[in-house]
Amino acid sequence: MNRLAGKPHEGADATAMSSLPQRPKSMAINGFTITTQTLPILKAEPIDKMTKKLGIAPPEMIFGDNFVEIEHKDTPWKITFNAFDALDRVDKSGESMLQVAYSKQWQRSRNHGGIKEIVKPFDWSYSTDYTGSLAPGSRPFEATTKHIPTDLLRRPDPILFYDDVILYEDELADNGISMFSCKIRVMPARLLLLARFFLRLDNVLFRLRDTRVYVDFETGEIIREYQSKECDYESVRQALALTRDDVPAAMRDPNRLCDFIPLVETRLERTVLMV
Amino acid sequence: MSDLDRAIAQLRACRLIPESQVRELCYKARELLIEEGNVVCVDAPVTICGDIHGQFHDLMELFRVGGDVPDTNYLFMGDFVDRGFYSLESFLLLLCLKVRYPDRITLIRGNHESRQITTVYGFYDECIRKYGNANVWRYCCEVFDYLALGALVLGASSGLEPSGPALETTSTTMSLDDSELETEVLNSRGEVTMSTYRPKQHRVDSPLLPSLSQDKSATSSTQNPASSMPPIRSGWAGTGATSDSSGSYSTGTGAVLCVHGGLSPLIDTVDKIRLIDRKQEVPHEGAMCDLLWSDPDEIDGWGLSPRGAGFLFGGDIVKHFNYKNDLSLIARAHQLVMEGYKEMFDGGIVTVWSAPNYCYRCGNVASILELGEDASNGGTVSRSNGDYNRSNGAAAAVVRSPGRRYRVFEAAAQDTRGMPAKKPVADYFLVKLPWP
Repeated sequence: MNRLAGKPHEGADATAMSSLPQRPKSMAINGFTITTQTLPILKAEPIDKMTKKLGIAPPEMIFGDNFVEIEHKDTPWKITFNAFDALDRVDKSGESMLQVAYSKQWQRSRNHGGIKEIVKPFDWSYSTDYTGSLAPGSRPFEATTKHIPTDLLRRPDPILFYDDVILYEDELADNGISMFSCKIRVMPARLLLLARFFLRLDNVLFRLRDTRVYVDFETGEIIREYQSKECDYESVRQALALTRDDVPAAMRDPNRLCDFIPLVETRLERTVLMV
Repeated sequence: MSDLDRAIAQLRACRLIPESQVRELCYKARELLIEEGNVVCVDAPVTICGDIHGQFHDLMELFRVGGDVPDTNYLFMGDFVDRGFYSLESFLLLLCLKVRYPDRITLIRGNHESRQITTVYGFYDECIRKYGNANVWRYCCEVFDYLALGALVLGASSGLEPSGPALETTSTTMSLDDSELETEVLNSRGEVTMSTYRPKQHRVDSPLLPSLSQDKSATSSTQNPASSMPPIRSGWAGTGATSDSSGSYSTGTGAVLCVHGGLSPLIDTVDKIRLIDRKQEVPHEGAMCDLLWSDPDEIDGWGLSPRGAGFLFGGDIVKHFNYKNDLSLIARAHQLVMEGYKEMFDGGIVTVWSAPNYCYRCGNVASILELGEDASNGGTVSRSNGDYNRSNGAAAAVVRSPGRRYRVFEAAAQDTRGMPAKKPVADYFLVKLPWP
């Protein structure tokens, strides 16, 4: 008898998506190459592989094939943003584990169940302080006090290349939003990348961790700024309620939220590539 | 054309019906649903669907792929609303179909069919936006409270009739004379992309311990050669029928339990689900909450979710529950799976996901699960008289899983959506720069 061994077609490759763009987008400018790739979420098999390699279950929507990359042609300098490396920086021990708002109530009512073991504790909010992966041999960043030149970025220069690349997202079992995404825009003389981790844990807290990478093509100067913001849920909600904003919409939008969440940590780094 | 048929036609065109009509519809739906038990019995053939999440155009694609109501008998496992842009159109259409063809469509409750969740995840806002007030949301929430918690599919056949042309790339186990088609995966054009066979079962096997009787992936027959013992029990699974009163030979499979989330440590029999007082908002704890929220996981026994609320259950729990309740399969939804469906624990549980390109950005495919009708009893399904004292469990038949046909489909084409394709718009993302 011929038969399937073991588990019948778990994780079988049921169909292939045909209509989606398969190749990375790329642009070369002034000695730099910028590449992005956006593909569907991972299938069961790569998810299993990633789970093993990471040691934690990846988020529900895991765009494991997506990435943003900035590469310098004349030196080995390269910075990449990808889901695996971002998730590798999530606390896997469960030490900094958050709990959903109704957790205490839920657990109190379950005291007699005898089920006490928390399965694979880890930071399921997928909070990460990821600021990108530097390729080996890249000229390292050094601490600086020099800020990203906002005025230059405010100029309405033409955008030659733009992409919005999501790396992962999780609905936290309907307890909020956890999301990591990257936006990049390239102008004739410079580029700006924003990698953002956004967490809303309903009735518990907001968390925003932004990494901005600025590249000046003329001078080869690169500035990376990391900002971590955090605030309890209720304070933000109350502050929003005083505005004329559509509160439910604002609570999904990190751009509108960022003014209401205080800064808790910031880091500035800089490097100059020999052009 | 009756008002109801007119409403169906209008909703199919993705146009809303007036508030007064929604009110009437919800009233009728409630009258209908209140008559249903917590666990609705559904006869095969049936097409089982997972989460929809307001993706109206993809629901239309689902009907295109799976057939229309009432031609196809449907079972939707909840999460009709939230996330997508057309929760109202999707839910109201399903509700109209339910009222129009009550025996051809079954709706059970998902964790999103709740006041609390819909206020956070989109349905409430959509009602306000489209009707200008919260009345329609309130009517719908009242319907949510009456939705059944689960369904039991009876009379599903163990083998499938092969269908459709096979693609050259189709992976298949060899079809031999004495085998039956166990699973088949079809794409949205009806082409077979995968099929698996297993040996036919001629006689119900001798009594086995649960741990031995569970390997149904076509290996049990060789390990336990078909014995000449008569069938020990032929009443339909999950119905509590214990004796072979008719004397008829049954090739039937166990029943299939359909539930949105999964099992609960407070529920060890299907009958215990029947005892829940369901007509309420989904509570934060208790059996009703678990049925709508819990997830299977590769663990032993029960576990707590690291989030601090919610249960996870392992393969042993599923095997034991299925054995004890004479089930061959649990079908559930609730979790996104890229392939549209995912079988776990030797096929003891399957997740069916019916929202393609979830949230309009995941790029996943969706699926529906078709269970065929077992024609070996002349198409009749023997019912129990409600006696729920089960056999002692020591002598139990090997329950054979039903033949499963998965139809996999992609998101509806962009031009059917009546809205322009969303291109990433280059923005300066500078609006709220925190720098001085």
